[in-house]
Amino acid sequence: MSEGSVIPAAREAAGPVPGVRMTGISKAYGSTVANDRVDFELLPGEIHVLLGENGAGKTTLMGILFGMVRPDAGEVRLGGETVSFSSPEDALERGVGMVHQHFMLVQDFNVAENVVLGSVSPLDLMLRRAEIERRVSEAAERFEMDIDPSARIRDLPIDTQQRVEILKLLYRGARIVILDEPTSSLGPAQIEALFAGLKQLREAGHSIVMVTHKLGEVMELADRVTVLKDGRNATTVARGEFDERSLAKAMTGRELPELPAKSGGEIGREPLLRVDDLVVHSGARLHAVHGVSFDLHPGEILGIAGVEGNGQRELLDALAGVLEIESGTVEIGGRDVTGASPKGLREAGLSIIHEDRQGWGLVLDMSLAENLGLADVAAGIASRHGFLRRRGLKSRARGLLEEYDVRPANPDALALSLSGGNQQKVVLARELASDPQVLIAANPVSGLDVGAADYVHRRLLSVREHGRAVLLISHDLDELLQLSDRIIVLHRGRILYLAPVHEVSIDVLSMAMAGSAPSPVADGVPASAPVERG
Amino acid sequence: MATRPEPAGVPGVPVDRSEVAARVRGWAPSLLRTLIALVATAAIFSALIAALGVNPADALTAFWEGAAGNTFNFGQTVMIASLLACTGLAAAIPFQARLWNVGGEGQLWFGAFAAVTLALILPDGMPGWLAITITVAGATLAGAFWGFIPGILKATVNANEVITCLMLVFIGIALGNYAISTLFPSESNQTESVPFDRLLPNIWTGTLVTAGALLALGAVLVALTLMSGTSLGFQIRAVGLNRNAARISGMRTGRVIVLAFAIGGAFGGLAGAIAVLGINGAVVAGFSANFGFLGIAVALVARLKPLWIIPSALLFAALRTGSSGLQAQTGISATVGEILVTVLVVLLLALGVIRLRYAEAAQ
Repeated sequence: MSEGSVIPAAREAAGPVPGVRMTGISKAYGSTVANDRVDFELLPGEIHVLLGENGAGKTTLMGILFGMVRPDAGEVRLGGETVSFSSPEDALERGVGMVHQHFMLVQDFNVAENVVLGSVSPLDLMLRRAEIERRVSEAAERFEMDIDPSARIRDLPIDTQQRVEILKLLYRGARIVILDEPTSSLGPAQIEALFAGLKQLREAGHSIVMVTHKLGEVMELADRVTVLKDGRNATTVARGEFDERSLAKAMTGRELPELPAKSGGEIGREPLLRVDDLVVHSGARLHAVHGVSFDLHPGEILGIAGVEGNGQRELLDALAGVLEIESGTVEIGGRDVTGASPKGLREAGLSIIHEDRQGWGLVLDMSLAENLGLADVAAGIASRHGFLRRRGLKSRARGLLEEYDVRPANPDALALSLSGGNQQKVVLARELASDPQVLIAANPVSGLDVGAADYVHRRLLSVREHGRAVLLISHDLDELLQLSDRIIVLHRGRILYLAPVHEVSIDVLSMAMAGSAPSPVADGVPASAPVERG
Repeated sequence: MATRPEPAGVPGVPVDRSEVAARVRGWAPSLLRTLIALVATAAIFSALIAALGVNPADALTAFWEGAAGNTFNFGQTVMIASLLACTGLAAAIPFQARLWNVGGEGQLWFGAFAAVTLALILPDGMPGWLAITITVAGATLAGAFWGFIPGILKATVNANEVITCLMLVFIGIALGNYAISTLFPSESNQTESVPFDRLLPNIWTGTLVTAGALLALGAVLVALTLMSGTSLGFQIRAVGLNRNAARISGMRTGRVIVLAFAIGGAFGGLAGAIAVLGINGAVVAGFSANFGFLGIAVALVARLKPLWIIPSALLFAALRTGSSGLQAQTGISATVGEILVTVLVVLLLALGVIRLRYAEAAQ
């Protein structure tokens, strides 16, 4: 640090960005092999996507590069020189930085403090706020990021927090930026902005590794792709040499057939779920759901689109009976179930696949048999005179685990020991086992790899084929367009747009989600002039 | 990738191990840590004793003598363990539902109050066995009521159960003292004595072990059946491990909360009946040497598992009787015993035998 100014400016890049070459990397955790002789090469100035299903070893490999994990074998070379980082600090010192899936920001500090945290002394952090903010502001400008250095992290939206994480790395001189599943909590517009930012970094000469399991992102962004499967290299290909199908095959080891064409069933006329003028408050947020009405018919999948935070979660919770309904009515199969308890709603024929699988869907510390039996125990059909029918629960679980191809198919395994995809299959199995009239599925494939996502989608379609109804709440437009018969766009708690799927396009949906309805049809009422209701 | 650190077993890879081996793996580390804690406690204890000018070897011998040196002393340990097993269950059952019933002391006192009241006012001609049955049942119900109050307050207005429990502890103790001073006063610092034919019978000659020990054993078995064999036990665990998931799958979480608390309280009340009918024959001032609070430690060391309550309760009871023996033999204050218990609990905490998880704090 020079005299006069204690707070360093963002570190200047020195020389060309070094390439990375990892060869023969192996890492085992106990008897489980996470990486098995993996090779990985990152060229200077490229965006390299590391693709693989959950548990394929992507994060382990990047953890090794970033100095968080020590490899059992193999060599890491940075710019031709063999390196062995013993800590993330070490890696950062050499220009390698990583943005984790869960951000490592101090919520109560402001942007500038978070950016310099660890590179200035705690005393300076307290005493030289103005200077720190100026430095960080300079850095943000240099990297063309629009961030207010004095904003508190907890007040910032998730995508801005992510930018802060990236700025933090750049400020400390990272030339190689690793991003672990960076889009998992972003909406479509935010993803677009992130990708634009990454491309800009590439133009500025940085190398970027993006870890993901989403094929769409590869197509959009990757200069080259390395696919891992079961801890081994499946393939590395450059732009122009891959398409979604070939990558999916490399990832899963098998061809994914197209989803069956919809049309099979006839859409019935009497609605199975009728929601009329629903108003829901959520804590301090009044009118989180603001007068929503729709019908859901037998044999229909009704998609609900919207940027996160526009009332989808409150709609889900209200329909699930865990959030109070302020006004309006809900009917299932013609029966008024407004304000019914979750138990009452289940008895009326409702099942729920909650978007928060670990928070609401499963009891992670219980076994699969117990998780599969949750609803039955609650309904009192898994016990006699108050005593559990343990054997019955277990044998039923065995059947379901097999039917839904859950691995391991061991009813005694704890839910937390399963991968996300298998956990979701357990939820599906439980929720579909009662043959519900209405299934509400909220972001049912978030965090799942392609194979598991495909499986979930097939199940949803088969529910529809059987003349039941599905309400699909999702922020994945492709998913909605692929599965839905009709699509609703929620915006600020209202229905801004509703149309049969063959009349909508991604562009139209994106516009509606942003708040402008191109050709508004909300149950015949123009939604651009929403009717004010109590 | 997974949003929570992967456990040793890895997704999708079936782990082949027998159920028994898995269970052993489950509790063996905990048992080992408990042993380490015991050895370390003995070491610290010896150092302390040496500092007080007594030969640690003599002290340990005296300690052992007091806890289990002869059948009489061992019988004392068994009876204290019986109390601690019940108050341990009083904590363990609600804890399984992530409800912090720290009111075992109050449930114990209120149970004792109900027991002495019933035993003294039931009509004279009543056969002893009937009076005992009614008294034990009444004390258990009284304890259940003392647990029901924080339960219903928690379920309806989300009142913090730690606070309501503690307030009920004071009321319970006050009622017990009211019985001593006003309702059934006697010459000494206790209530009138319960008639002999209404006391729990002795079951081991040469000791003071009464049928109260059998009641405690029965309580453990009831708790075991409840938690592992009934629909309610399943729901208590589900509510404790993930209240949201339990609720959305249709469980009436409020009802489960109230019941878990009432059942915990019932065990506390039973401890009161054992104290009055099986040990003291009256409510004696200060009869509970914090047995209700100690039940929390008993439950935590047993990792809330009903069967493990038995060794855990015996361990804590032995510490208590052992330090009495120490006092008798060497003149070292029984307070040293308190220090011993505290040291052990701190060590157990530090070694992770006692684990508190605040999963719900995140929500």
